[in-house]
Amino acid sequence: MTSDRLYEILSRYAESQGIQLNNESEYVLDILEGLLTNESRYGYRSCPCRLATGIKEKDADIICPCVYRDPDIKEFGSCYCGLYVSKQWNEKKIKHIKVPERRSKERSGEQRDDV
Amino acid sequence: MEEQKKKVRLYSLTTCPTCKKMKKILDDHNIQYELIEVDLLDGGEQWVTSKEVKRYNPAVTYPTLVIEEVIMEPDEEAIKKALDISDDSGYIR
Repeated sequence: MTSDRLYEILSRYAESQGIQLNNESEYVLDILEGLLTNESRYGYRSCPCRLATGIKEKDADIICPCVYRDPDIKEFGSCYCGLYVSKQWNEKKIKHIKVPERRSKERSGEQRDDV
Repeated sequence: MEEQKKKVRLYSLTTCPTCKKMKKILDDHNIQYELIEVDLLDGGEQWVTSKEVKRYNPAVTYPTLVIEEVIMEPDEEAIKKALDISDDSGYIR
C-alpha cells in the first residue's frame, strides 16, 4: 500500500461517513506515511500523532479512525491529528485550533511491556 | 556558532506531522536543539522518557518542546529576567 493509494481510499471512505480529509493534501500524505509506518511496526494503523505501545489491546482506542474522532469532529471540526475534518472546517467556517487530547492521561502514559 | 543561552529540547514522534512542523520552525530559525524521537526508543528508554515528558506536559502529547535557561551564579538580575519578575517582586505575567 502506498500513501497515494491510501489517500484515494480514505477520501472515499470519509465521504461515505459524511466527513472529509483535510484539504491540505501534503499534510495528509505525511499522516498517511505515519499510519503506514505504524502498520509495518505494530501490525495495525495506530494514530501517528500519539505514542503507541505496540500492544493492540492497549492501543485499540487509537487505531485510526480513533474512538475520539467523531466527538472531536463534532466539537472542533477536526480529529486530534487533523486527518478527518468536517466540510465546514475545510471551508474555514470553523476556527482551526489545536484539538485537545481527549484520551485519558493514564492511557496516554501507558507503556510497552518490555521495560 | 555561538552557543544558545537557552537549552531547547524537542520530544517528538517520527510519524507525527505536527512534530515535523515544529522541527521546521526550529530549523528555519537555526535553533540548536536536542531531538528525542520517543517512538524510536527501546522499551526502557521510552518509559523513562515518557516520565520526563510528563513532568513538563502532564497530558504526555507530542510534540512537546521544552525551553530552559541555565543559571549557574547567584545572579539576582539574571534570575528575575529569566522568570519575568518585575522589580516589585511580582510576576509580570
